[in-house]
Amino acid sequence: MQQSILMLFLGLLAISTIVFTYVYQSSQKATDLDRGMANPLKSRFWFLLILFVILGIFASVTIPKSPYYFYADETPSRVVHVAAKQFAFVLSNNAIDPKNPVGENAIELLENELVEFRVTSFDVNHGFAIYNKAGQLIAQTQAMPGYVNKLRWKFSEPGAYSILCLEYCGMAHQIMRSSFTVK
Amino acid sequence: MFKDIVIFSSIVMISFVSTNVKGQIASSGWKEEDRIYSKVFDAPLSGKQLRKGTTLYQVTSQKPTVLALIFTRCTGVCNPFLLELKENIELRTNEKNFNILVMSFDPRDTEKDLDDLAMRFGLSEDKRWEFAVTDSIRSLVQSIGFKPVWDSLRQQYDHDALLIGINSEGYITKKLIGIRNNADLGLLLASIQDSFTPTYRMANPNMLFSCFNYDAKTGKNTPGLGLIFVALPALIAMVIVLSVNFFVRVNRI
Amino acid sequence: METLKLRKITSVWIIIVLTLFVVAIVLGILMRLNQGEIIQQSPITFYGNMTTHGLTMIGIWFVAGMAAVNYLLERYVKTSYAANLFALVLTVIGVLMLWCSTFIGEFHAGWTFLYPLPFKIMWAEWATPLFLSSLGVLGLGWLVWSISLMAQILKKYSISQAFAWQHFHKNPKVETPPFILITMITLIGVIACLIAAVILLILFFIEYFSTGSFVNDALLMKNLTYFFGHTIANEMLYLGLAVIYELFAEVSGRPKWHTTWYVALAWNLSLIFILTAFFHHLYMDFVQPEGLQIIGQIASYLASLPAAGVTVFSILVAVYRNKINWSLTNLLFFIGVAGWVIGGLGAVIDATISNNFILHNTLWVPAHFHTYNAMGNVLFSLAFFHWFSNQYYHHKERQNTLKLSILLIGGAGFLLAFYIGGAESIPRRYSTYPSDLPMGATLASIAALFASLYLIAILIFFFNISKKCLKILSSSPQSS
Ligand code: HEM
Ligand SMILES: [Cu+2]
Repeated sequence: MQQSILMLFLGLLAISTIVFTYVYQSSQKATDLDRGMANPLKSRFWFLLILFVILGIFASVTIPKSPYYFYADETPSRVVHVAAKQFAFVLSNNAIDPKNPVGENAIELLENELVEFRVTSFDVNHGFAIYNKAGQLIAQTQAMPGYVNKLRWKFSEPGAYSILCLEYCGMAHQIMRSSFTVK
Repeated sequence: MFKDIVIFSSIVMISFVSTNVKGQIASSGWKEEDRIYSKVFDAPLSGKQLRKGTTLYQVTSQKPTVLALIFTRCTGVCNPFLLELKENIELRTNEKNFNILVMSFDPRDTEKDLDDLAMRFGLSEDKRWEFAVTDSIRSLVQSIGFKPVWDSLRQQYDHDALLIGINSEGYITKKLIGIRNNADLGLLLASIQDSFTPTYRMANPNMLFSCFNYDAKTGKNTPGLGLIFVALPALIAMVIVLSVNFFVRVNRI
Repeated sequence: METLKLRKITSVWIIIVLTLFVVAIVLGILMRLNQGEIIQQSPITFYGNMTTHGLTMIGIWFVAGMAAVNYLLERYVKTSYAANLFALVLTVIGVLMLWCSTFIGEFHAGWTFLYPLPFKIMWAEWATPLFLSSLGVLGLGWLVWSISLMAQILKKYSISQAFAWQHFHKNPKVETPPFILITMITLIGVIACLIAAVILLILFFIEYFSTGSFVNDALLMKNLTYFFGHTIANEMLYLGLAVIYELFAEVSGRPKWHTTWYVALAWNLSLIFILTAFFHHLYMDFVQPEGLQIIGQIASYLASLPAAGVTVFSILVAVYRNKINWSLTNLLFFIGVAGWVIGGLGAVIDATISNNFILHNTLWVPAHFHTYNAMGNVLFSLAFFHWFSNQYYHHKERQNTLKLSILLIGGAGFLLAFYIGGAESIPRRYSTYPSDLPMGATLASIAALFASLYLIAILIFFFNISKKCLKILSSSPQSS
């Protein structure tokens, strides 16, 4: 997914660079007789219309794919409660008491089961990001004090997964992490 | 035209939000998170409206169920709790797709005691309501994570007023602790129908500035003071533009 | 007409901005070197530098835009020297306070200082109130300046003229110059986001002084933080655009741009989009109502339409097959617009909720905003600085291609490392990268190298421009 996003971006980058270079060169070659674009208002209109349509299609395709709607009509077979605290995550099969936050030593999930992560924070804002073995970010939500964010996910590949904090939370932010396995 | 912009922008902000506040409701915190999506114990039930040998799963598999745990000798929260529940359910006359199962967690309670309770509340004829006891109450409360404590001095159970939402597969989808308003109940009902809300708010020492409040009287969610705070900068900026405009004109004359 | 006083204060602004820019770039390079494991800084130093870098950069490019707009506005209306000076003094004080809190007090909550992080003291106790006050001082100076500029516009133009509403009818009697229209729209956005900052600071201070009896709501605070942070970062670009509308045609020897109905419409719409687009910073807060999330995506998309369809297209039309007197000024403008477009593309990709799900808070974020800052807005302002100082002390432009090439190559390499890092899921705001993300350090070292090239180019500009600005400062009325 990230790779195709990068490719899309590089493609657009190339197009813009070509357009700007082309326009610049057309001006270098221009003589006093040149009058610029033939009918700028009309081309502007078409340009805008095409842009509008492209963005409209993009929005209507992508909005339903937003994480708020993932597996919305299924019952999770597994719940993992997550509480973030400077600078560690507590993961538990049971609800976590803020006064005595203890979690499981190891969390094991099953391949293709629907897991619901119920993520909160006991101090500042943190991020809860799941990375796969290859070091690729596959899913995330924020951990905000006073709120529970529910992230639903199915892991299609067994293996070790890491959790990284993705919201800057202070001086040890870069080492705030945890992990779990999928069998 | 200028006024229109102000009005338009505030309406957009407020209307979009007020239709989408399902998720942002207070609750009494982390305890409600306990045992979510675990299965309740399939207890055998006995109650007046139930066939003999009915189990909890048979009830829930017909319709998702709201389970209320009480005991009939309660001198504390149980009565007001049931009353509030009854009133809230009455507001939802059109919604038929759920059961309300009232069960006693006190082993002393008999089928008869619950039947009397149903009569007292005028609910014995209501199709949506069932009143029942079970002989395996310990396994049931354990599977729910409900922990009543017997207080021998007062001869009463110390306990939370607890509503448990159970979907048709017998999973706990949501809990509500304490006497709660209609909107919270609505969230519970949505959850047993397996409709997903990605978030909820936990109890906060200061709710004043939260973005979403609910009105306990009408039971509706209203955009909270906090939301107005989010729109405020834009509105103040407009006011500044207008007043600056006013003052430069006054001063010139 | 512009006065000597205005000319001098503008020179002071330019010198301050460029000096602080060099310092902030050095901090940026140090960050990249640390992430590349070429130098070893403590995380506290790193995050302190990150906080200083972020806020200093935002601050200087905002005031650079304001100073340019103020200078050019004098062509149309009389501006207030006092307000300009007031902002200058408060900016200097504010930056000094900020640096005290970060360099001495070791405050390091990031320039977005997300509530409640500033209250989890990991630095000197006094650094939190000092940091928050420094924002207050900066905000106050800028607010007074913006309101004063707006007042001057409104003295001459009625409200509907300032918004160019008469252009929605056929054959308007008066024309609102595009510069006035854009400045007006931008100033309103600036005022709105500064007000958001004021409310945010008030809420912070109430909690600070209530010692525990008052607690803020984290969601509300995050909304206000990005209302301020996102909007000011966006508006400072629009200040740069106002300058382009005013100067591009002039320095190119082309007819001046005019306001038409679609220019008026585009900029009026921008105001609405820009004030709602900040919701895209909260996509991963599933607690935010879905309605606002979707407004966020749609407003972010729509914001690109007037920008692309009107501003970018106008630049392209102005250049396409037209003979242009190319100079460093309009070259910088032209390249800056390209950089702005490219950064905008990166932004639109990230403003898509389903992409944000895997890009949020990765290096993709600094990638796109550095593109339209370091390769967009900075170039707009450099163009203005160059044009401004050249008006009085014209030197023959030499080796433009070389200067621009260093700038471009340095910038492109530095930015590409960010983009690739984003696609490699490297988190942003990590002082060092975990060993399971080895690409992070490699990319950081490469980026540091390219950023140094960028710095070299900036130093050349810095010396050329400052030299002339210093001459302006020492000039007396007769000599001009
Ligand atoms: C060549 C010049 C520059 C270099 C080397 C540089 C470097 C950096 C680095 C390394 C970071 C931290 C990235 C991370 O999250 O890991 C950063 C963040 C940032 N930079 Fe720059 N930067 C440069 C120019 C600019 C410019 C022109 C702006 C103008 C607005 C800017 C604004 C920011 C901001 C706002 C942040 C975010 C700070 C935070 O996360 O709190 N930078 N920069
Ligand atoms: Cu963190």
